[in-house]
Amino acid sequence: MYLSREEERVLNGEEGWAYQVAMRILVKLGDLFEADKLIPIESAHISGVSYKTIGDASIEFLEALGESGAKVKVRSTMNPAGIDYNHPEEMIRVPEIMEKQDRIINIYKSMGIETVLTCTPYYINKPKENTHLAWAESSTVVYANSILHSWTNREGGPSALAAALIGKTPNYGVHKPENRLAKVLVKVKPRLKSEAEHGALGAHVGKLLKDEIPCFSGLTHTRETELKHLGSAMASTGMTSIFYPDTSCPRISGELEVVSVDVNDLKNTFDSLSTTNESPDMVYIGCPHCSAEEVKRVALKIEGRRVRRDVKLWICTSRYVRKKAERYVGIIEAAGGKVLSDMCAVVTWLKEIGIDVLMTNSAKTAYYAPTMNRVETIFSSLDKCIEEACE
Amino acid sequence: MNILFFDSGGKALPIVLKGRPIMGGRTRGRALVSKDPLSFLGGVDPETGRIIEKNHDLNGEKVGGAILCFPHGHGSTVGSYVLYSLVRRGIGPKAIVNEKADPVVVVGAVIADVPMVDGVDISKIRTGDLIEVNGDEGIVIILEERSSCT
Repeated sequence: MYLSREEERVLNGEEGWAYQVAMRILVKLGDLFEADKLIPIESAHISGVSYKTIGDASIEFLEALGESGAKVKVRSTMNPAGIDYNHPEEMIRVPEIMEKQDRIINIYKSMGIETVLTCTPYYINKPKENTHLAWAESSTVVYANSILHSWTNREGGPSALAAALIGKTPNYGVHKPENRLAKVLVKVKPRLKSEAEHGALGAHVGKLLKDEIPCFSGLTHTRETELKHLGSAMASTGMTSIFYPDTSCPRISGELEVVSVDVNDLKNTFDSLSTTNESPDMVYIGCPHCSAEEVKRVALKIEGRRVRRDVKLWICTSRYVRKKAERYVGIIEAAGGKVLSDMCAVVTWLKEIGIDVLMTNSAKTAYYAPTMNRVETIFSSLDKCIEEACE
Repeated sequence: MNILFFDSGGKALPIVLKGRPIMGGRTRGRALVSKDPLSFLGGVDPETGRIIEKNHDLNGEKVGGAILCFPHGHGSTVGSYVLYSLVRRGIGPKAIVNEKADPVVVVGAVIADVPMVDGVDISKIRTGDLIEVNGDEGIVIILEERSSCT
């Protein structure tokens, strides 16, 4: 990979250890994937924030970077943490955990990363079309490439952080137009109704395709919310970082490989995302974090009703959306639900706060929670989730 | 290069396996070889360095001090930090040999400063073999086979 004289200087440690390590990460990844050069990025989104997922392992490394005075060069945001400090009554009450989570957030903050702890930073600041980003968090990546038409590889926590510190990323993968071409046509036979069915479709297709880029035919709802659920599920079961919701897209020359999805495929995947028939201790909406529109949908559905005493209803979103949808937050909380921000169910300590069965409209959560949180799952539409949560 | 020659089952030692340099540095140690991909997050206990990934062929083995040979990494990118932490605590691998390097392990090797080579046919290496990893040149040398050192 070509490096400018300035980049060489950083790699040689002339700007200090932290930038040297960051540059070394980018150069090694660039060499690995045969990038030709580093390209400037508009923004970075950093994963690896929840103490539950990153544990003590990363604190040492992040702290060393932070203490060296390293600062990000571009606007950078971070993923949800494990704690909403504004709702301590809902959280795990272990002082050591509260303290370590706070430490992690503060290290990132000291590097200049905005304390916007969400997996949907695009509701707050939309990146421009056709600009290069270095975003981590697979659902965020897929959304950026597929719905916002920005360009980002599927970064990990460390590589997104390195890119943020340097302000650049190696030019490979979907930063190159020839790697953004659809290779597979997914013909969807059933007419999908809910966001959950879009999630199930995503989970099914992700498993089939691995990292190949699909375009879809037969999707009738191509609204943002449905596509967000489709993409996040696809990125969970597979390695895809981009999809096209219809067939008017750049594609490889010649015939596309065709994959058909029929009613049974969808039903089987949908059913496989539930692991129990028991009744839930928690109903969870907010993976990926809710848009203002989704908060409103929950509010309209729950208005005038009461959340059952034996069930927690969690709606997770960013602080920004929570504020924007304040009126609807009021309605949900009056009914006994909780609208939480800065965190999400998957990256918090569910088992430790007494949750054994989690009901959700998120295929991504239903896919991860049995292993990451050791809980049973019930996967259903938003409407059915709210129905189950209420008296 | 100063290499001791051993005779093992008619095969001439040392055997030199050519690969690709990923992370520089040169070290010798006993190989710990797996046929299965490894996730450092959730697959290796950060307190002990023991492999805890379910159904993994090295389940129960400790990576500390070994030259860890496996096809490639998988799983969360937090795995890079786990590798860093293991090495910092002195319970990490001395070097890493992969068939195909993936970003999680590469970034882990970079921040932990562990020699790493990929593009090597690891089926030629057996657990217990004494091997040398040269991360600058991208080569792995089998110096002594397990059977000859018992």
